[in-house]
Amino acid sequence: MTTTLSVLIVDDDPALLQALPQALRLRMGGVTVETADSAAAALERIAVQDYDAIVTDIKMPGMDGLALLAEIRTRRPDTPTLIITGHGENELVVRALRGGACDFIQKPIDRGYFVAALYRAIWAHVQNRRVKDRQVALECCAGELERILDGLERELGALPGRRAP
Amino acid sequence: MPETATQERQAAVADPGAAVTAEQRLRAHVETLERRLRKRDDQRRAMLHIMGDLSEFNKRLANQRKAMLHVLADYEQDRRRLARQTERLDSSRRALLHILQDSHQDKLRLEASRKAMIHIMGDLRETTAEMQRREQELRDKQEQLVQAGKLATLGELTTGVAHELNNPLNNIGLFVGNAVDLIELAVTEKRQIVRELGHAMQQVSKATEIISHLRTFGRAAPVSREPISLRQVIERALSLMREQLRLREIEVTVDLGLEEPVVLGNAIQLEQVFINLLTNARDAVAEAPRKAIRIAGSTGSGAVEVSLADSGHGIPPGLERRIFDPFFTTKEVGKGTGLGLSITYGIINEHGGTISVVSPPGEGATFLIHLPLAPAQTEETSA
Repeated sequence: MTTTLSVLIVDDDPALLQALPQALRLRMGGVTVETADSAAAALERIAVQDYDAIVTDIKMPGMDGLALLAEIRTRRPDTPTLIITGHGENELVVRALRGGACDFIQKPIDRGYFVAALYRAIWAHVQNRRVKDRQVALECCAGELERILDGLERELGALPGRRAP
Repeated sequence: MPETATQERQAAVADPGAAVTAEQRLRAHVETLERRLRKRDDQRRAMLHIMGDLSEFNKRLANQRKAMLHVLADYEQDRRRLARQTERLDSSRRALLHILQDSHQDKLRLEASRKAMIHIMGDLRETTAEMQRREQELRDKQEQLVQAGKLATLGELTTGVAHELNNPLNNIGLFVGNAVDLIELAVTEKRQIVRELGHAMQQVSKATEIISHLRTFGRAAPVSREPISLRQVIERALSLMREQLRLREIEVTVDLGLEEPVVLGNAIQLEQVFINLLTNARDAVAEAPRKAIRIAGSTGSGAVEVSLADSGHGIPPGLERRIFDPFFTTKEVGKGTGLGLSITYGIINEHGGTISVVSPPGEGATFLIHLPLAPAQTEETSA
């Protein structure tokens, strides 16, 4: 993770949009934190940038966190999304996890837990990406090998005195 | 005389001289006798006259007797009439006596009634005192009811308020945590630390505001009357409800116009009115496809009219009248006390205003509040 990480935080509380990015900057050196005060604003950001992780409050006026999560799953299926919920809102947590949330953070937010969860999500995302990259690379190699094999087979068949099996 | 005549005739026979004298004397006698006869005849005639007169008189008397008989008959009639009248008078007199007796009785009865009335007055005074005592009791009970209603409202508000408090508390934790991190990282720039702590302080005052508002609302304070800005009342009620309405995605619009209506009343009570109505509207739109509450106001001469409309399913026909009855609720058991709207009705009444509800079929309900403006403002408006 040598490149700069970018995180989007979505919440309708302006004070939280001040406090949480600062906490991330202090605890996760070099992270770029952007904020959106509504789900609609978040979708605009997502359209132009691929974040390493998105953190959203679950209860927001207009489009709520669960609806935003569903949108993110369609538009950026690989971006890990963390949901902030109130204390004891287990039903919402379950719905969020079923909806594809990578993790949940309960209010009041424990910064240690939050940073750890975010790291884990990003790490998983990076690993996923790496796995996918490797898979793509492997598929490329396999294709190449396939081609080489075909070529060799053709060369073999062209040799005089060799009969087809 | 005959004896004398005989004697003379005897004497004349005896003596002729004597006979001449005797004749003279006889003649004298005849003359006397004739004279007497004539006199007697006169007397007889006079007697006949008298007899005639007497007969006449008798006839007249007979006539008079007849007349007298008529008079007597008339008199008899009159007498009978008089007797009858006397009888009537007598019975009238007797009746009068009865009436007098009755009137005496009546007087006695009246006296008794007067005494009874005095007793009744005494009882009435006692009853009035009792009534006043009961009224006071009722007022106390009503105050207690208002307090109970407030506490019930507070109970309902608690969930929303818990969320509302959770946010500043969470932010305080984050800001203070950031400050701690900055100190631990030995950041020499004090300004950064101070800024984090400043943010934390702001959140502390936000939380304090919520708590103190709740405490003011819940306090059983004596009901005072002072000029109150209705706009402020509505905003304060909304501030307690905002989180609940926001989380339920209920859109609230407030349009009170450019006027600043001031009413003479109790801020806490009026705030409760709007909290109750907002709570009601919140539940009414819960299942509605579009969730909206609209508060609108207009200030006229001497009064302000505020309407609170929701986009719910409205009130079933026939229930509009009962909706302000105490303990009347359409909510499930345990969901509503049925006191909210009755307390609201009581408060508006106490403020000299009126509250009514209209719910046209197929539309949401609209509550209309009509409140008199504070005197100073009335003058301004009319000036």
